[in-house]
Amino acid sequence: MKTEFDVIIIGAGHNGLTLGAYLSRSGLSVVVLEARHEEGGGLSTEELTYPGFLHNIHANYHTFVDLAPPVSDLKIREHGVKYVKPEVQMASIYDDNTALLIYDDLDKTVDSIARFSTKDAETFRRLYKEAHGYVDLLLGTLMFEPPMSVKELTKALSVFGVSDRSEFLSVKLRRETINQFLDEHFENPKVKAHLAFHGAVCGYGNNIPGLAIGFPLLIGKINNWHISIGGSHRLAHALWRDMANHGGILVTDAEVVSIVVDNKKAVGVKLADGVEISARKCVVSTVSVEQTFLEFLDKDKVVGNDGNKLLENEFIQKVKTEIKHQSWSLFSVHLAMKQPPNYLAAEFAEDVNKAWVVNLGYGSLEELNSDWDVISKNSLPDPRPNVAVNSLYDPTDAPDGFYTGLLRQFAPYEIGNDGPAAWDKLSKYYGQKCIDAWSRFAPNIGEDAVLKWTTYSPHDIAVKLPNMVKGDWMMGQIALSNMLDQRPLPELGQYRTPIESLYMAGSTQHPHGFITFAPAYNALSVIADDLGLDKWWREV
Amino acid sequence: MADIYTQKWYEEVKNAINNKVADMKELPEGKWQIAIEIFGDGISPYVDQGNERHFLVAIDQGKCLWYKEIDPNSKDEGDKVKLDYRFRGSAVKFDEIAAGVLDPIDAALGGDIKVKGDMRFLLRQADQVQILLEAYSKDVKTDWPHGKPPY
Repeated sequence: MKTEFDVIIIGAGHNGLTLGAYLSRSGLSVVVLEARHEEGGGLSTEELTYPGFLHNIHANYHTFVDLAPPVSDLKIREHGVKYVKPEVQMASIYDDNTALLIYDDLDKTVDSIARFSTKDAETFRRLYKEAHGYVDLLLGTLMFEPPMSVKELTKALSVFGVSDRSEFLSVKLRRETINQFLDEHFENPKVKAHLAFHGAVCGYGNNIPGLAIGFPLLIGKINNWHISIGGSHRLAHALWRDMANHGGILVTDAEVVSIVVDNKKAVGVKLADGVEISARKCVVSTVSVEQTFLEFLDKDKVVGNDGNKLLENEFIQKVKTEIKHQSWSLFSVHLAMKQPPNYLAAEFAEDVNKAWVVNLGYGSLEELNSDWDVISKNSLPDPRPNVAVNSLYDPTDAPDGFYTGLLRQFAPYEIGNDGPAAWDKLSKYYGQKCIDAWSRFAPNIGEDAVLKWTTYSPHDIAVKLPNMVKGDWMMGQIALSNMLDQRPLPELGQYRTPIESLYMAGSTQHPHGFITFAPAYNALSVIADDLGLDKWWREV
Repeated sequence: MADIYTQKWYEEVKNAINNKVADMKELPEGKWQIAIEIFGDGISPYVDQGNERHFLVAIDQGKCLWYKEIDPNSKDEGDKVKLDYRFRGSAVKFDEIAAGVLDPIDAALGGDIKVKGDMRFLLRQADQVQILLEAYSKDVKTDWPHGKPPY
């Protein structure tokens, strides 16, 4: 195997592959090293139950399709990815078997909300239209550029008088929770619960101060949820194909154990099998901050020519104590099914049976808040799972006449005092409780409908993908203090690190996890500046 | 007073911007090359529906160095220029901004004028950008021979 490249990228998740593809297209020789047996990271699709049932183990919702520049720059669709945008994107079914539906079509959504509150329906229409108007602008500014500081943004919003122009955008939102935003603008508890649930599924907890500032943006793309036909892993293949077509190399089963530093500069990596690979221009880590700085680098050995330690104790201490992770994770049940759910709520709203992502039961902000409290105490809430039956819109993800189902429940990483390993004993029990909760809303869900099911716990997440520390699928807390140039630490906020030629480009970085492509895209911009690359992708 | 989108009108816009810049204590940084793409919408009488008018503008430290109209169908002239920003919108929206009826920030926030380019640079210099926008939307006296918005 060739052992010298311009660029070494650690981790073949969607960020590593995206960065690899861009840099390969820029004419650099690139190798992406993946510890697992296949590329994809969170883009993982496996036949967990029976052959032919394709289960997306991590990423299921593709909400940045046609909003993220890499989708077109890297010609994702030409490499075989097909997206479908469900007609009924999302629903909430409440305990009284009423249902609120979010359609691809705004008017239908407004009609659905109006069944609960005509005032909220019109507020939603105004909010959506306003947010949808600036979603390109805000995404281009806040997600697909290296981050500005909150101070800079606040000043600009103030100078441009944005608060005076919009009832939904205000500087004060940086101090508010999504709950407060919803209480200020909406009246019906069920409507508020649905909108908060939508934020939570995107990783934005409704009770976290400051997250209100991101909420209008979430609403602006509330009907941009897509399924990757044939499984999310197809996207990983497409990114790899694009990189390979331009000379980039992916090596799987290539576990990096250390980053080699010489004269203050990252110059290569060492693999678990002893092979050393050198990098002429840079090394990029897309895995966790903890792996990168506590495992791959020995702070006592990383010294410059002058003998000074490059990773000062203060920085290492910050990595140990100040990296913030989500305080909740996801417990999943993957099902092979003979029937799709037939909801009691179909009597109220027939289209609920066509809904792709369904919130089962949260009918007020208080119910959500209560469950966050339970989870924060490392306890298991009574399940109110959310459901996605991809087969309703992707008939290729299960054999003819069958369905693939996914239940997800907000859950703690650790349980009680028994730690994360307690999940290994409790998963079966809790999985059954989640299915029981589903069957209360769709009585046909039971032995008649379910062929086989299996669970995937927060502990499983952390074991399978160690970069998702503590089962943190966002690879860093979503909080204002951990956003923009403060994520994951101020020293790393612009994708550079204390070590020359070592960059961070994974979901630990701004903006966050989810299939956004943005950490890689933004790191690319910084790397291109440092290496003097022509930014062909920035064609204005 | 000049008819909108005429050479004379653009000259007045240029002068208005440069007059503002002459009074600025802190100048905007950098050189920007900007494309302005105006497409006919069947409402504005100044750009026919189905037609487009494209302009290139060069700004250096806030000062307008030059501008020129280019053929929107020609791939040559526009493509040779390395653009920093592209503003695109319907004629009626650009007309309304020039008439002071529509605020340019509202137009951008509402998605009526699409902006491409690194917005961080503009946001970091919000004070200066605001002054330049005011020059465009408030300091130019325009003749409206075919009618003034709102139409």
